[in-house]
Amino acid sequence: MILNPIFYIAKKELMDNIRNTWIIIISIIFALLTILASYAGSYDKEWQSLELTISVMILIVQIVVSIIGLMLGYAAIGGEIERGSMNSLLSFPISRLEIIIGKFLGLGAVLSLTLLIGFGFAGIIISLNISNANFGGYLLFIGASILNGLVFLSLSLFYSSFFKTRIKSMGMAIFTWIIFMPILWALITGMILIASVSTEKLMAGLIPDWYFAINLINPQSAYSGLVSINIIELEADTVTSLPSFYNNGVLLSLILIWIIVPLILSYILFKRRDV
Amino acid sequence: MTNEVFAIEVNSLTKIYDKVPVVNSLSFNVKKGEIFGFLGPNGAGKTTTIKSILGLIRTNSGGIKINGIDISTDGKKIKKNIGYLPERVAFYQNLTAVQNLNFYAEMKNVPRGECINLIMEMGLKESAHKKVGKFSHGMRQRLGMARAMLGNPSILILDEPTGGLDPRGVKLIREKIRELNKKGATVFVSSHILSEIQAIADQVGIINRGRLVAKNNVSTLSNELKIKPKLILELKEVSEKTIKELKKIEGVEKVEIRGNKIEIICNAETRAKVIVAIEKAGGNIINMQTTEPTLEEVFMKYTEE
Repeated sequence: MILNPIFYIAKKELMDNIRNTWIIIISIIFALLTILASYAGSYDKEWQSLELTISVMILIVQIVVSIIGLMLGYAAIGGEIERGSMNSLLSFPISRLEIIIGKFLGLGAVLSLTLLIGFGFAGIIISLNISNANFGGYLLFIGASILNGLVFLSLSLFYSSFFKTRIKSMGMAIFTWIIFMPILWALITGMILIASVSTEKLMAGLIPDWYFAINLINPQSAYSGLVSINIIELEADTVTSLPSFYNNGVLLSLILIWIIVPLILSYILFKRRDV
Repeated sequence: MTNEVFAIEVNSLTKIYDKVPVVNSLSFNVKKGEIFGFLGPNGAGKTTTIKSILGLIRTNSGGIKINGIDISTDGKKIKKNIGYLPERVAFYQNLTAVQNLNFYAEMKNVPRGECINLIMEMGLKESAHKKVGKFSHGMRQRLGMARAMLGNPSILILDEPTGGLDPRGVKLIREKIRELNKKGATVFVSSHILSEIQAIADQVGIINRGRLVAKNNVSTLSNELKIKPKLILELKEVSEKTIKELKKIEGVEKVEIRGNKIEIICNAETRAKVIVAIEKAGGNIINMQTTEPTLEEVFMKYTEE
């Protein structure tokens, strides 16, 4: 019984995005980027393995999927309140918790479908041109990329519940992307340089454990870590010795925490908000 | 002692925004099956009260019951029986009228067929499959009324339902309100158009600065305020002599001249004296009528600064 309103909200969000062809456009972009990364990503102009394609795509996912997640959710709550449709919705038999969950699931489905279609189509094209395609690894990469997108969707829902206007929420979403992409990366890299870790050591893969620990503040690092340790096989002499806490359990837990905590905060704020 | 269950019970409701009480210890009841007109000047706290009743805003203190059930305990169950038309009607712009209503209908488990029927009832048949983003304000208001009627709710809460509508739209909504009330629905309607409320409401509540200053039917409120009916006389010609004679009569409180019409506020017993005096002064009465005190007069008295 409780599932019904959640389902209707989720369905509406999904259908809205299908109607405005958003899913199709972004899926095509992802498919083209992946095919391009596989085919044109090497000097010899030959199709690369799925593993190598993924290693190129990690950065693209970090840049683009985070933006998609943020843009999908930044106006989900505040935007409806601003437009005036939220008070009508809440006059119907639906709770605020159901609205938050419904929006998250619906927008999450949009994001998941986009990645599944885009990467799926590209994966089929690539696998037709290479031998011994690692389908399991590729599926894991798609799954991890979806989780990475859900982190930013959850964050944007939190901003949407917190800020009174769409503009402020969007501003915070952009700020978040800047923080988690260039700024945090530059800060942590700067810290390792300040800590006088020699370039030779870095090149040899001798990176201190604390660097990995601090890096995990960033959900994007947890995502790239999760994909790297499971899929990408680096050559032996460049393999960095990873700390023991860099494992599936920890990395996956961190990503899930980044999804669940903002979602809970989002509900708490929305519950207290006048519409 | 009877324990009457009211459709809406508001008890000592207080809502404070930025340290200013917008609604201040507001209490009133709305009986089942009545049309309750909720009036007040701009910023009096009408919409805040309505939003509190619907649980859209958190109140600072006080309690609200719908059909005897506290809204804080089972809001979802209560809302199955409520239809709401907000002051600012908003829909999903990229969806058609039918798609919008279908979405809301699902929330109440209302069959989809009801949506198109309501759209037709509200005179929007031609626009049923057009995107709401292309609708005029009046069309949205009509669609808003259709949404409020989804699932045949026992309580309708309408915030300025006729605002911005053309006369045909106003008539349609007024008829709908009466029709739904005849079927047993309680209607709580807030409006600036006092003549509208006077025409349809059984009871009137007047709110000013967050407090209920009056609640009763219009005629009782008029009596309480000692607002007397008006005697309107149309003369062939209004002379100075006639006016002088009228002002001499004991019991005549006010005489106003509008063209060849004289508006006189006096007791019923004085009316005969007025007519005699006019004829004595050579006045020729063409037409005569009395008007009951208007809600506007009552409203102005209760909300004057």
